[in-house]
Amino acid sequence: MPATILLAIMSFYPIIQAIITSLKTGSSANMQWSDPLTYNYARMFQDKIFLRSVGNTFLYLIIEVPIMLVLAMLLAQLLNNKDLKFKGFFRTCVFLPCATSLVSYSLIFKSLFATQGLMNTILVNLGILEENYNFLGSPTSAKAIIIIALIWRWTGYNMVFFLAGLQNIEYSVYEAAKIDGANGWQTFWRITVPLLKPTIVMTVIMSINGTLQLFDESVNLTSGGPANATITMSHYIYNMSFGQGVANFGYASALSFLVFIMVAILAFINMKVGDKRD
Amino acid sequence: MKKRVLSVLLVSAMTASLFAGCGNDTAAPSDGTQTEESTAAVSSDDPNTLTVYAWDANFNIPALEAAEADYKANVNPDFNLEIIEQSQSSDVEDAITLAGSSGDYSNLPDIVLFQDHYFQQYVTNYPDAFIPVDDAEVDWSDFGAEKLSFSTINGTHYGFPVDNGTVIFAYRTDLLAEAGYTIDDMTGISWADFITVGKEVYAKTGKYLLSMDGSGNDLMYMMLQAEGVSQFKDGAPYVTENETLVEVMQILDEMVKENVLYLANDWGDYTNQTIVNDMVAGVMNGNWIIPTIESVPENSGKWEITSMPTLAGGEGYASNGGSSLYITGNCQKTDLAKDFLAKTFGGSKETYDAALKDGGVITCCISAGESEVYSQGVDYFNGQPIYAKIVEMGSHVKVVEQNDYHYDMRSQLSTALINARDGADLMEELKAAEDNIKFTMGL
Repeated sequence: MPATILLAIMSFYPIIQAIITSLKTGSSANMQWSDPLTYNYARMFQDKIFLRSVGNTFLYLIIEVPIMLVLAMLLAQLLNNKDLKFKGFFRTCVFLPCATSLVSYSLIFKSLFATQGLMNTILVNLGILEENYNFLGSPTSAKAIIIIALIWRWTGYNMVFFLAGLQNIEYSVYEAAKIDGANGWQTFWRITVPLLKPTIVMTVIMSINGTLQLFDESVNLTSGGPANATITMSHYIYNMSFGQGVANFGYASALSFLVFIMVAILAFINMKVGDKRD
Repeated sequence: MKKRVLSVLLVSAMTASLFAGCGNDTAAPSDGTQTEESTAAVSSDDPNTLTVYAWDANFNIPALEAAEADYKANVNPDFNLEIIEQSQSSDVEDAITLAGSSGDYSNLPDIVLFQDHYFQQYVTNYPDAFIPVDDAEVDWSDFGAEKLSFSTINGTHYGFPVDNGTVIFAYRTDLLAEAGYTIDDMTGISWADFITVGKEVYAKTGKYLLSMDGSGNDLMYMMLQAEGVSQFKDGAPYVTENETLVEVMQILDEMVKENVLYLANDWGDYTNQTIVNDMVAGVMNGNWIIPTIESVPENSGKWEITSMPTLAGGEGYASNGGSSLYITGNCQKTDLAKDFLAKTFGGSKETYDAALKDGGVITCCISAGESEVYSQGVDYFNGQPIYAKIVEMGSHVKVVEQNDYHYDMRSQLSTALINARDGADLMEELKAAEDNIKFTMGL
């Protein structure tokens, strides 16, 4: 009962307030009901920068999530090897990026890939690049760096879930497969992956949810630039509400609800797909 | 049991630190005793104490300290100014937004330092946040008209100008000499000739002749102001049909493609990589950029300043950035606040001399700029009397139409330039920028 009350006050009340705000326009000192009521919602589909941020976010989602999850699964598989020595050490190494704060790792990547940064120095000295390249200054490479940063940060996190999932698979299943003459590749795709299904569904939902709300990397690593090429939905919403001299809270709330709906739909599809075998 | 004791300790420690945190936020009243009234947070009960929000301990805050000392010595010996330092200008804007959105101004200080370009928009959005100061004893005609155009709304004065945003073009004379040019060659030239020089400087020294923050690009605003043209016309964006703006954008586009202008990724990249890290032979911005230039001691004596190039040739003058002091709607001691500001920033030589010496703040008050402190040479700039030069240049700046959406326009035009650099058609980009800004403004 106290939990319900707390939830109602801390969660449901603000949600209702946000719905009301999303139907209003005007300066935050004097908000008026918008005319028509759906003004903010209609507006977002004509907002080119917002549509661009949606595109960027989905690009990150489509490229980053599969790469990250496959890598996480492979790493988990490697670390689950019974004969591996220093298992704890490697496990810590892979998980360590998750212990760093989002802001600080973004800033570290920013200085690594700066025009005069470490990566440029290494690549120029190795003769791969002729002169220093402004990685964060061109749209394609800036996007690529955000994706690399995300993979670095979140692979270990997902690996831990897979590792836990793998420990629940009976070793005898693998022994049986070995006796039947299955090689490692077949074992992985025919036994490990199907048995990890619940874990995969969970990590996919979490990753989709996390990527749709991506904020820190866009703000700190590239500031959404160059020319809004890397801006994410959450970053745009932030700019609309707390950007300098904007304070367009009505529109920002409306945008937030769109993100909420997107997350809900994607999670729903995922659950349906995952349910089939259960 | 042990665990429980530990958790109780932890919780109490957290609570204690929470309260301690609150204690630090509230400025202690001048007499040193703690009062617990909520309104005492940022305004003091003492009739001779004023509170002010300001940022930049190297620039604006020394200027305020100078004003406090001046007022104390010459007007009211009991006077006390509490300067509450903010880490950046946007903190002050956020404080006003917060107060305005909640309708509760009681947490604002008596006076705020506020960025010029944002002021009109904030008065429109939060009309109760600021108090008009028309009745203050100030000779307004003694200030640069361009500067006052920001703090004057429908003929009513709201602010007291602090600094002067006059644009300087600083060149590295040693690098220019390598390419065979002097600072005099760069004075009063056209942008087309500037590009020719820039190409030679890049070929000979590997340095760009100019750099700017690519995402918040002020160059087009400054270049347009030097021509006396605005990005807005009668309150609407004036982009694709504005021949001067199109020409300026074409020149900038050419500069980027010819390696004359380097577009940095963000503001930090602009100041730290391009200026401090010696990537450029020239810097063009408001004169508040001088402390950044001066932060490289090895380059002392190598810089000199002059006016901007223009499209047709001839010396160009513009102004970018800067801030003014405003009295907030929460101020209970408006008479004291007006008197303090009028007798210091309203034209006191003593205030402005000390502000220049301690913070490098250059006045836009014409009579205060005639003080002899201004005519002294500055070693870093090869002994050039840059302050007098800046005040003189400031008097030529043309007033252009300002708009609440100044920064939206800036980011749209910056985007257009970056996209053009990456291969898009400039005119199409300008059309898109105009559409986007109209969309933002709801036109």
